[in-house]
Amino acid sequence: MRALTKALCLCVSLMLPAARAQAGADAWGPQQLMAELAQREHAQASFVEAKYLRLLSRPLALSGTLSYTPPDRLEKRTLSPNEEILVVDGDRVSVEIKARRIKRTLSLQQHPVLWAFVESLRATLRGDLETLQRFYRIELAGDAAGWRLALTPSERRMSAVISEIRIGGGDGRVRSIEILETRGDRSVMRIREEAR
Amino acid sequence: MTRAGGIAIALWLALLAASAALVWRTPLSTDLSAFLPRSPTPAQQLLVDQLREGIVSRLVLVGIEGAAPPRLAARSEALRLRLARDPAFVYVNNGAQELIEADGRFLFEHRYLLSPEVAPARFTAPGLRAALEADLALLASPTSMLLTQVLPADPTGELLGLLDTLQGEAGAQTREGVWFSRDGKRALLIAQTGAQGFDIDGQQAAIERLRSAFAATAAGEAGVELLVTGPGVFAVGARTAIKQDAVRLSAIAVALVAALLLLVYRSLRVLALALLPAASGALAGAAGVSLVFGSIHGVTLGFGVTLIGEADDYAIYLFTHLDPAFPPERTLRRLSPILGLGVLTSVCGFGALLFSGFPGLAQLGVFSMLGLIVAVLVARFVLPALLPPRFGARASDALAAPVLTLAHSARRLRVVLLAALALGFGWLVLRGDALWNDDLSRLSPVSEADKQLDRSLRTDLGAPDVRQLVVVSGATADAALESAERVGERLRALQESAAIAGFDSPARYLPSLSTQRARQTALPDAEVLRRNLTEAARGLPFRDEVFEPFLEQTQAARARAPVTRSDLDGTGLALKVDSLLVERRGNWFAMLPLRGVNDPTALASAAVALKDSGAEVLDLKREADALYRGYRSRALTSALLGAGAIAVLLLVGLRSVRRAYDVLVPLAAAVVATCAVLAAAGVALTLFHLVGLLLVVAVGSNYSLFFERDNLRASDPRRTLAAVLLCNLSTAIGFGLLAFSRSPVLSAIGGTVAIGAVLSLVFAALLTARIERPRYG
Repeated sequence: MRALTKALCLCVSLMLPAARAQAGADAWGPQQLMAELAQREHAQASFVEAKYLRLLSRPLALSGTLSYTPPDRLEKRTLSPNEEILVVDGDRVSVEIKARRIKRTLSLQQHPVLWAFVESLRATLRGDLETLQRFYRIELAGDAAGWRLALTPSERRMSAVISEIRIGGGDGRVRSIEILETRGDRSVMRIREEAR
Repeated sequence: MTRAGGIAIALWLALLAASAALVWRTPLSTDLSAFLPRSPTPAQQLLVDQLREGIVSRLVLVGIEGAAPPRLAARSEALRLRLARDPAFVYVNNGAQELIEADGRFLFEHRYLLSPEVAPARFTAPGLRAALEADLALLASPTSMLLTQVLPADPTGELLGLLDTLQGEAGAQTREGVWFSRDGKRALLIAQTGAQGFDIDGQQAAIERLRSAFAATAAGEAGVELLVTGPGVFAVGARTAIKQDAVRLSAIAVALVAALLLLVYRSLRVLALALLPAASGALAGAAGVSLVFGSIHGVTLGFGVTLIGEADDYAIYLFTHLDPAFPPERTLRRLSPILGLGVLTSVCGFGALLFSGFPGLAQLGVFSMLGLIVAVLVARFVLPALLPPRFGARASDALAAPVLTLAHSARRLRVVLLAALALGFGWLVLRGDALWNDDLSRLSPVSEADKQLDRSLRTDLGAPDVRQLVVVSGATADAALESAERVGERLRALQESAAIAGFDSPARYLPSLSTQRARQTALPDAEVLRRNLTEAARGLPFRDEVFEPFLEQTQAARARAPVTRSDLDGTGLALKVDSLLVERRGNWFAMLPLRGVNDPTALASAAVALKDSGAEVLDLKREADALYRGYRSRALTSALLGAGAIAVLLLVGLRSVRRAYDVLVPLAAAVVATCAVLAAAGVALTLFHLVGLLLVVAVGSNYSLFFERDNLRASDPRRTLAAVLLCNLSTAIGFGLLAFSRSPVLSAIGGTVAIGAVLSLVFAALLTARIERPRYG
């Protein structure tokens, strides 16, 4: 697996002459990015998100907080316009919409699309290249100070829903997530990490 | 040969030919429920019938294990695809996405008829407003991408609601796209056979096809194991086991009894003659069973083993008392009354089985009664005609003298023996109910290992054993569904107050026609709905005309014909409906299994209210236990009546209280001692042991009868003893072998009677017989 990863890194870096030029002798690539991300411990951030949906005449604006506890707990707490809590912990996902008193718990194993979706962020935060590659083909652009990771679903059911996920960041942090859906819907999330 | 002898032989041959012809064409049954009591209430009968021929009886549960999950998933999927093409199976499911999607499409298409939430208020402007606001909240959530496709056609969320209620029940985990056990070590699949549950040949063929389909998907892979369970698998296994047992045990019994007879008589001709009554009896008994019941149960066939050991007694008596100096007729006339009495006591015992309440035991009763009567008639009328002139069969009585001496001296121990018996009796009385095992499952011929596998696969599939359920009935399927809906409303109230965790109902998958019509009328016409929707969406960010599919599809739903059972064909819902809604003798029954009864008192008070509406709340475990205890006491009654009848018979037949007493005391002692031996060996007694004890009296009476002092006096004690020993030994062989049968009914009865028969003889010798010290001369 390690050899494969290395080979893949090599391919990616060959395809991205700009990245290679900037990285210089250090040969900065997905593996280095992942290693950098993996060093992070608990992270807490606030976010603003805009969802552009075909069903709606104007975008939905959301805001709230995100927190990540290595290795596999992720919490997205939306405060506006509705209070909603999404917790991913191991294999379990729970969604709670406070105002509607909806609380649902799902198993990721049982919902492959949701699982792939969750891992786009969780595996990235964990610096887990292997898991990311299990669900996505990845392309990396930029350098350590400012990079953009493009994830294209490799599994049929996932690619029927999502065409691409773009994660942007720099200095070992994730700063934005953009989700492009196959049917034209799109959401953009900007993340500002709180000082620790 | 005399003229009478000729007639006897002719009649005998005719009987044999007729019996053979009859038996040849009789099907062998292995119906597992034959040794379960017939149920008294219609609701219980329904459950037993369900086991026999309901859809549950056609389900095969499959586990695949022994490799990494991706390999197991691949094998599961390959097996599913093969079985789906196999006409032996009407439905296969392994949780594959394809099947879930197919069910989802069906639910989506019929959502306005199936969803319990469809009501007029839901489609008014305020109702729709609430729905649209909820939709907005869902669109804001990160899982919105799974929703945006259905939302324009289903803004009120009927599909989500249906999926929630329907999938909330399913317990199997999905991994690698198919069902898996929680630990991920076993891929799971269910298949429904086309053959009925009671069609064991069909079941066997289907299971073989399943196994070969699995083998065909191996592609050189080793170590992956197929586990198969379910009622059909059990039935096939039980039939194979009982067939093997019957053949194997009969062969051993014939070999042992033949060896014994050869050893004693040292003549092949005598051996053949001695086995003739037993063989005729077995054939006639089987023919009788076929006439009365229409089929012969495998267990009855296995029971034939005992007849080999028992029916040769008559021939042995005859041979023992034949004197070459006299014509056999004289000996026979002298022996007739005692032979007749012996047969009658046995027939009394086996006759009591007819009233035991178990169809299987009744078969054993008919078989043995007819078998013994025919055997004794053959011994009395046919054998003498077949004997060559001046026939004499000298049994070796070398053993008799030392045994007589032993018996004579052992009589001094009588006091000790009586004290031991009294102690044993006291101990049994003290143990009381602890002697008995009241678990109905003890009577089931399914082995503990198989039961365990079945339980574990069921748990993996999230189908735990139903313990409590509500049953309602109706003249038509639709009437039963309507009742189920009414009961469902009450149960929902119980669920809301947390008295029960949940319930299932056939009406959930197939609502009654009137409910479906009510839902159709709850949908407004196109114009009203459009107006309400426009009003509801005012101020919300939904684009105009987004909900056109909703407007169209509600109108289509209003005009659509209601969903019927045949519309469900090919979906997982059909399986659910068929297992919960069944027809029985022109009546339809709907079953509503309850989950997690937290508050039994609330359920009990609801049960009282439900009774008025014709619904019945059943606690299966309690009913089964009560049923079993009822049958035990019924078996006890019929055993006591049988024993009583035998006592009366002996009293009348022997025309003497003293003689009857001498015959009965050893029997009573044998019953007590047998019980004590079984209990001391740690055997928990079932009602089959009880039946065995009755047969101890019926069979053992022969030995104490022949040992009774007047009979002893009338003949040469040494010859009598030799004969009785031989008879007793062959009977013990016949019943004793049954103790090794894998069928609980046979092993319980066999073991009990074998011990009891030997003990009856020992006690007869020690307690009442007047044995004189043998004189050597």
